[in-house]
Amino acid sequence: MSRGDIRLEGLVKRYGDVLAVDGIDLHVPPGEFFTMLGPSGCGKTTTLRMIAGFERPDEGEILLDGSDMSNTPPHKRDVNTVFQSYALFTHMTVEENVAFGLRYRKVSKSEVASRVKKVMEMVQIGELGQRRPSELSGGQQQRVALARALVLEAPVLLLDEPLGALDARLRLDLQVELKRIQEQLEVSFIYVTHDQDEALTMSDRVAVMKGGRIEQCDAPQKLYEEPDTAFVANFLGSANLLSVTARASGAGCELSLGNFTLKSDSAPEQAGVGTAMIRPEYVKLEPQGSDAENRIPGMVEEVVYMGFHQDVRVRLANGDLIRADVPSDGEGEEYEQGNAVSVYLRAANLRVLDDEPSGEPEPADGQPADQQS
Amino acid sequence: MDRRRIWGFFAAPGMVWLGVFFVVAFYAVVSVGLGNVNTLYQPIPHWNPLDWNVGYLVQAVESVIPGGQNWAVVVRTVLYLGVAIVLSLLIGYPVAYYASRHAGRWRGLVVILLILPFWISYIMRMFAWTNLLAPDGYGSKLLSALSIDTLFSSLGLLDGTDWLGGQGITVILALVYGYVPFFILPLFASLDRIDQRVIEAARDLGAPPPSSFWRVILPMSKPGILAGLVLVALPMAGDYYTQTLMSGSPSTSMFGNVINDYIQGGPDKSLGASMTIILSAVLLVFMLYYLRTLRREQGEVAA
Amino acid sequence: MSSASLRNPWGKPRFLAGVTWVYIIWSLLPVLLAIRFAFNDGRSRTTLQGWSTRWFFGDSAFSVFGDPTLQDALTHSLLLAGLAMLIATPLGILLAIGLQRWRGRGSGPSNVIALLPLVTPELVFAVGLFLLFTTALATIGLGTTAQVIGHVTFSMSFVVVIVRGRLITVGPDVEEAAADLGAPPLAVIWRILLPLLAPAIAASLLIVFALSIDDFVVSQYLASGADTTTVPMRIYAQARAAPTPALNALATLMLLITLMALGLAYLVFKFFTRGEKGGSAIEQIASIDSGGGR
Repeated sequence: MSRGDIRLEGLVKRYGDVLAVDGIDLHVPPGEFFTMLGPSGCGKTTTLRMIAGFERPDEGEILLDGSDMSNTPPHKRDVNTVFQSYALFTHMTVEENVAFGLRYRKVSKSEVASRVKKVMEMVQIGELGQRRPSELSGGQQQRVALARALVLEAPVLLLDEPLGALDARLRLDLQVELKRIQEQLEVSFIYVTHDQDEALTMSDRVAVMKGGRIEQCDAPQKLYEEPDTAFVANFLGSANLLSVTARASGAGCELSLGNFTLKSDSAPEQAGVGTAMIRPEYVKLEPQGSDAENRIPGMVEEVVYMGFHQDVRVRLANGDLIRADVPSDGEGEEYEQGNAVSVYLRAANLRVLDDEPSGEPEPADGQPADQQS
Repeated sequence: MDRRRIWGFFAAPGMVWLGVFFVVAFYAVVSVGLGNVNTLYQPIPHWNPLDWNVGYLVQAVESVIPGGQNWAVVVRTVLYLGVAIVLSLLIGYPVAYYASRHAGRWRGLVVILLILPFWISYIMRMFAWTNLLAPDGYGSKLLSALSIDTLFSSLGLLDGTDWLGGQGITVILALVYGYVPFFILPLFASLDRIDQRVIEAARDLGAPPPSSFWRVILPMSKPGILAGLVLVALPMAGDYYTQTLMSGSPSTSMFGNVINDYIQGGPDKSLGASMTIILSAVLLVFMLYYLRTLRREQGEVAA
Repeated sequence: MSSASLRNPWGKPRFLAGVTWVYIIWSLLPVLLAIRFAFNDGRSRTTLQGWSTRWFFGDSAFSVFGDPTLQDALTHSLLLAGLAMLIATPLGILLAIGLQRWRGRGSGPSNVIALLPLVTPELVFAVGLFLLFTTALATIGLGTTAQVIGHVTFSMSFVVVIVRGRLITVGPDVEEAAADLGAPPLAVIWRILLPLLAPAIAASLLIVFALSIDDFVVSQYLASGADTTTVPMRIYAQARAAPTPALNALATLMLLITLMALGLAYLVFKFFTRGEKGGSAIEQIASIDSGGGR
């Protein structure tokens, strides 16, 4: 078995009366880029800190390559962390920062020098060795923090919102680079973020967390296309949520939305009142009068210009508001407020969610409440 | 072992030290104040609360209420402190305000000059005035040349022309001189924290400068003012050396002098300890108030 | 606030500037004159009489280095300050680290007790120690030991405030990072925490030294006789009666020592915080003092 296999079993952490982590089971196989995604306070950072050893779980086990390390102090754990604040040692040079951990391994002087040099070149800070952290830009500091953790060649690297403090352009560059490094070194990355783009672009798998629990854990595409719950649907991208009544029909089901009947290819766990979800980019607008299957008449209420696409908000005949992403490619129809249209909700893209219909209405415009810019 | 508890061992030596030399020391005051004396009038502390003898404390309390022998001193102490604190505010606020908001390119120099008095021994700063206010000193001559001594005399604030000859006004001004730096610096820090944009917002919303001062800056600096005033009032309340250096006359003695006389001068140490208990009880509220603001400030830094 | 700003909102507040500069002159000029008198050629402490250094070392009987009582006071002040500095700083650093991290029963009251000496009037404090050393701890008794203990006790709280401020600035992340990279707990303290605390330690050493050397009340209450007299005690005793400017010379020397210590601490502080963002070193050292009035 190759190294870097992390398994969490029934992990629980309380702070006083607050349940920060509420029973997490997780398996990250070696070499996986695994992301924990969620709003602040969802328990993702606490989970990461328990894996690193900074917090002790109240219940549960943390297994690295099969052996429990819940009682191993952080300095003896074979995992390393890249901190959100970078936590660089300001009284040391970049080189001293990177070499810091090697001092506690049985590593010869010459090997220290060569490993430090190698890792600094890999993260492209080869020239900055004699600088002090305070003389570096945010992106460079981030690279030092990364180099410092990578140099120890631990099988698992923990990253706590490592790009959070950087501006958008830099963040994109570093996303690509992080993924490249992870693939090159074949180590497991456990990555914590609240940024859906980061999660989607880099990860092999993503666990969406809420209230100390894992809401859903899947590959990015599956999470996006087939969210189980309204929370996941909203947190990853935008979603139109519709209150429907479902009943099984063939391989899929039939949904009643007001007086309209829609077909869906998804098979809900149980029939009855539930929530159906469709992404705005799958909502197609057609000229008024089309009354084929899965089409509902509506009227354009608002058109928001978004650059490469338009956000068209349509009031359906049953009263619901639905958003459609219309590409600004110069080929499609131009819409204006007041246009009567027919809204096509394709059965393949209309998904019935698992969660219990909650009393509180989900935001109609599908913006996740916790999404931060 | 829980890692959080290990840090308790770091705190242990310091806490033991403070336990013995601060907490037990204060308990010694209580034990002596509520103790007894032997035939040589040496205090016999009663460490056991069950043995406490309230005789001296009652005597001390009776002496500081109207009609008591120290009542006049209490009134004088409150008066001196009150006037000194008001003067500190009137002098200190404009200075702190200027240093934090308008000093511009002089700011660094102004701040250094405002800090300097901290690093000069209080006793030396008082001593400097005894040089100047001696009858042939430059200070006395200047005040005389400006007819300030005759003006003060005619107002009844000065008796004769010897500024060091038992004048209440000299003691008060010396207290202001001695303690106003301790008021200015924390106030400067709190004024400095007020965001310039808040003032600009007030102006932008139509408040003319005086009004933006009264309605925005002053209320926002209130915590700093209160903390600063408490910070100067506490040591003033226990001051006895300013009075002895600048006057020395019993006609200007303050509460601190009474305690000092009992403890260091006469045989009535138990009475002095009781007086100290009274002083501490009166000041405790202010001490805790200041500690609370101090801890809140450190909390803010953390957040 | 000023009349100038009433008429012209962009004008300079001349009135405030005037008040400030008058205050600064008022606060410093008397001390400067007292220093000037130390260099008097004549015996007067109130009138300028030429220049000389006779009151420092020239005069065989009355100068600071001629009069053994003045010289002893200076030596004793330095002795107390040195000892207080060396004891209070490590105790205060440990206490600050402990209080910052320690969560559990007793940590709340401990926090209050650690800061209470900052706000306790010195007289109350001195009376307490005086009574302690004349009753329960009469074996120690009054004298140099008691004076050192007194100075350590009140200055330790200042160290706690300074070091905790620095701990909060530095944050827990760097220590966690060091542990994460494999440094055992002692190495974290030695290689990470202490170097990062260096500016606070320099500032602490300075402030304890200055507090001790300037202290009057505690020194006086815990003194046992002529050989435990400090400079402020000597000045206090002779301020109104001193026959010569030798007392001014003594005060000047003491001030000089304090300012030299301040300069040294400033350089050390600046060295250890170079490249760090935040207020200038001078303002950080300044803010140290706003922790308490003494």
